[in-house]
Amino acid sequence: MDEKFDCIIVGAGVAGLSAAMTLARNNMKFLLIERGEFAGAKNVSGGVLWGNDLAKLVPEYWKEDGGWDRYINHRRLSFMDEESCFTIDFKSSHFNEPPYSGVVVLRSKFDRWLAEKVQEAIDESDFAMDSFIATNILVEEILFENDKAVGIRTGDEKFYADSVILAEGVNNLLTRQVGLQSDYVPAAHVLTGIKEIIRFDQKKLEDRFQLREKSGMSNEFVGFATDGVEGGGFLYTHRDTLSVGLVLGVKDLREKNKKPQDILNKFKTHPVIADMIEGGEIVEYSAHIVSSGDKRIMPKKLYKDGLLVCGEAANLLMNAGKAIQGMDYAMRSGILAAETIAKSKEKNDFSENALIEYENALSESYVMKDINNFQDAVHLLHDPVMTQKVPNLICDFGRNFFTIKNEPTKKARTMLNDSVKKHASWWDLMKVGIKGGKAL
Amino acid sequence: MKLLSLPERLGLVNYRNQAKSDIKPHIKVNTDICNSTCPHKATTYTCPANCYTIDEKNVVHFQVEDCIECGTCMYACDQGAVSWEFPDPEIGRGVNWNFG
Repeated sequence: MDEKFDCIIVGAGVAGLSAAMTLARNNMKFLLIERGEFAGAKNVSGGVLWGNDLAKLVPEYWKEDGGWDRYINHRRLSFMDEESCFTIDFKSSHFNEPPYSGVVVLRSKFDRWLAEKVQEAIDESDFAMDSFIATNILVEEILFENDKAVGIRTGDEKFYADSVILAEGVNNLLTRQVGLQSDYVPAAHVLTGIKEIIRFDQKKLEDRFQLREKSGMSNEFVGFATDGVEGGGFLYTHRDTLSVGLVLGVKDLREKNKKPQDILNKFKTHPVIADMIEGGEIVEYSAHIVSSGDKRIMPKKLYKDGLLVCGEAANLLMNAGKAIQGMDYAMRSGILAAETIAKSKEKNDFSENALIEYENALSESYVMKDINNFQDAVHLLHDPVMTQKVPNLICDFGRNFFTIKNEPTKKARTMLNDSVKKHASWWDLMKVGIKGGKAL
Repeated sequence: MKLLSLPERLGLVNYRNQAKSDIKPHIKVNTDICNSTCPHKATTYTCPANCYTIDEKNVVHFQVEDCIECGTCMYACDQGAVSWEFPDPEIGRGVNWNFG
């Protein structure tokens, strides 16, 4: 192929597909390259796409049956010790109206569906015959001329473009190759996500979790779930399956000499989890690294002459305690990267000076604002007091508070004091309280 | 619910080019480093697919066949023994998630 593209996108995950959709809508000529057999073949996520950017990409997506499984109208955050679970539970009909504030997805299905939507957008664009989604192709090298990215090499073939968007995910070998991320990324800032997909009879799943039609539930867990390792657990309801898994700090796994698959089995034997998954059939086991949301591992910058980095390749992911967010950041950063390329095309300027607009736009967006604002919360969640002592004392308090013995009952305040003394100290709590106050 | 062993779990994973014997691995491991200077041999317990094993003589072995491309070893190893490089999809082996 002699002709040059406006843009080559590497990776057909949420970020790459969102960028592609935006380019197609802006009548750009592009090539989206994916190493998997289809978009989504190599992709794993916990399961919830938060926010409503999806409605911007695919208007009225909720009227379609494909892609997403359920919208979230029921959210739970659980503190666990080995026998109990104390849960903050919020369910509201105000979550029932589209565009929803979160939908549960399975990536092998969702990414493939989104790729079909991108293809429809390509078909409606001026470059219906000249823009492509190419799967089964590995990008081995980013080509540079005079320090400007000018294309990619795959095997013996070279493809040229005015710009390249890297959306290759967290194991960002190309981002490292072009020098934006250092070759060794320290274990302290990544977690191993590990999960099982458990299938049920759909009616049984809906009855068990009080699901109506397409409503769904998300539940995050801290404490016992991770067996002393930094991280947390999750359980999400899909159409007729559950995603049940953990994210576990890699440095902490290394130091504590623990196997992720053993911790997952232990989590599943917790009496509360065991009751939720009883009767299901495991149909897939998966794992994938996720970023911690610590800014210290973000690439030094997200642009170079002719090149932009978006999604988790830029380590855009965060768990500030309320939700594990990443796919929404991927979507927005992909859209912003493509919008920057579209403006660069108008000016015919793909230099750093023009592409810095992407980083500016990202800083102005909720993505970097969230990541900046919640750095303290991210660090707080790595504090053993939060992941071990607090869940234990909350569960201890819960057990005393809800136990009725036909004896004189202590006041709740006394019970709380007893639990705090048993599992931590008021000083511990003051410290996390102050940190927490700052973080929130 | 019955808990699955790791081989049972990996039995649920769909791999490409599973039958091919001449596949090109995407991970290279310098096990000399694992077996001489590494103080923790962390890949042998952190890998969720148990691709890194340790025998009764405390020697580390690596096999790529069960790899699910999660990336954990790339970060768990801080000794420079593990390097990743994806091959052409046709000659590489790797996961094809059914659910993901």
